[in-house]
Amino acid sequence: MSDQVCCIRGDPASSMIGKRWFCGKHSQSATRERPHTWRISILLVVGLVVFVGIVYMLDLVLHPALTGAGLILAGVLLALVPAFIWLVFFYIQDRLEPEPKGYILGVFLLGALLASAVGIPLVDNIFHVSKWIYADTATTILGSILVVGFIQEFLKYAAVRYSVYPSAEFDEATDGVIYATAAGLGYATVLNIQFVIANGGVALGSSVIRMVVVALAQASFAGITGYFLGRARFEKKPWWWMPFGLSLAAVGNGLFNWLRGLIVQRGVSLTGASTNPWMGLVFASVVALFTLGLILWLIRRNIRTALAEK
Amino acid sequence: MNASSLPSKTISTGYRFADWAVIAVTVVALLAGWLTKNSVENRSIPFEGSGISAQTPQGWLMTNAQGNEILHVTDPLSSGFGTTYSIENIPVASDATVGQAVSLLTLQRGQALTAYRVLEQKQVTVFGQAAYEIGYVFVESNPNLTYNQIPNIVRGLDYIFLNGDHAIVATYWADENAFESDLGRFQGFLSTLKF
Repeated sequence: MSDQVCCIRGDPASSMIGKRWFCGKHSQSATRERPHTWRISILLVVGLVVFVGIVYMLDLVLHPALTGAGLILAGVLLALVPAFIWLVFFYIQDRLEPEPKGYILGVFLLGALLASAVGIPLVDNIFHVSKWIYADTATTILGSILVVGFIQEFLKYAAVRYSVYPSAEFDEATDGVIYATAAGLGYATVLNIQFVIANGGVALGSSVIRMVVVALAQASFAGITGYFLGRARFEKKPWWWMPFGLSLAAVGNGLFNWLRGLIVQRGVSLTGASTNPWMGLVFASVVALFTLGLILWLIRRNIRTALAEK
Repeated sequence: MNASSLPSKTISTGYRFADWAVIAVTVVALLAGWLTKNSVENRSIPFEGSGISAQTPQGWLMTNAQGNEILHVTDPLSSGFGTTYSIENIPVASDATVGQAVSLLTLQRGQALTAYRVLEQKQVTVFGQAAYEIGYVFVESNPNLTYNQIPNIVRGLDYIFLNGDHAIVATYWADENAFESDLGRFQGFLSTLKF
């Protein structure tokens, strides 16, 4: 019998899952199939759709004209609700051994802090992205990947790599995805608050859809980086492994930003100029959902590998 | 030593190397992004009129020049007041001094621009040409009463060159928040001005 103790209650341990020891009872508990994970995930997505519907209807009926504190409050609320729902969604995917909530919250806040202190000032005030990125399609794609994508993904990577990564709690490859998505959601929350305030609270109904998609995308692209981080933590990987993962996330992020930019596809008719606010958002949503599917598949594969090692 | 058997709080040399590789890749990407930004901002198209030529920024909106203006281009992507470059060719007496040309221009600006205030003026040399620089500020005014936006504060810079019986005025207008950051590009435009 092993002289190790169960990481849950300190009873004598009998098996190891990931890098943690479990007693027989908790080993069974950790490895049993959890159909309710799917049910909760679906419920969370339905909750998100209901939230979007309510905000959309309220905007349609009330046409709120928000200023000052009301505008900031609405921005924070509209940004936080989707971020929180996605946070829970990704958190419950780690069914082997959920991470401490305090750590998740800490990484979320670190992502938000890095976005407002470094990411947004770099993009807006140093690179002045809005002044040149829409010059032509090639420039938009290049700028979105090389500047926006790399800045955002590097900061989300840094939020995990230089905080929880060396800690004992980071004990499975899947943890990389979970913590990175938390950092991504923190980043997305700040981006969304900034978006509402910069637009003066105009068209909250359509804004909330954009915010849900942005939160999902930021979390999913960070999840790619997190996957590479997690694998690098527990396996011997070549030097290019992590830069490749970050670049992959930056390319996805850049393509998402470019597609979302198509939201301002202009059309000019006899009655004046018009915009198509949905086309870009639909394309961008497809990229975000595809990345989400990939992340969920990678999480499940990591869990299967950990259970097989057991 | 296998990475998986590392003590949880130890980061190996290999990890450190990967860390630096991530930073290096990010720096290279940002440098490439900066080069892309510069190449886009330096794209220009030639302009020539009334014996004056310059390279104007590509993609900017060229509006019909009025009065003594021979060029008027505006950046459509500016936030607030659209950053604008213009060139005027003002007839003056052949024996006019630069001081007289400056007075004439200041008077015209004072009449045309709302809340026009001169901030500084001095003689300068612009790419080898003697010129007079006037820095000023005004409030963008829109005569449309239904225009429900707070007026923008605009900062302006005029460079006045005397050229025989004409004063050539190269003007830079930008939103007060964008003035400093857009100034470098205007200086690039100024360097291409030939008359």
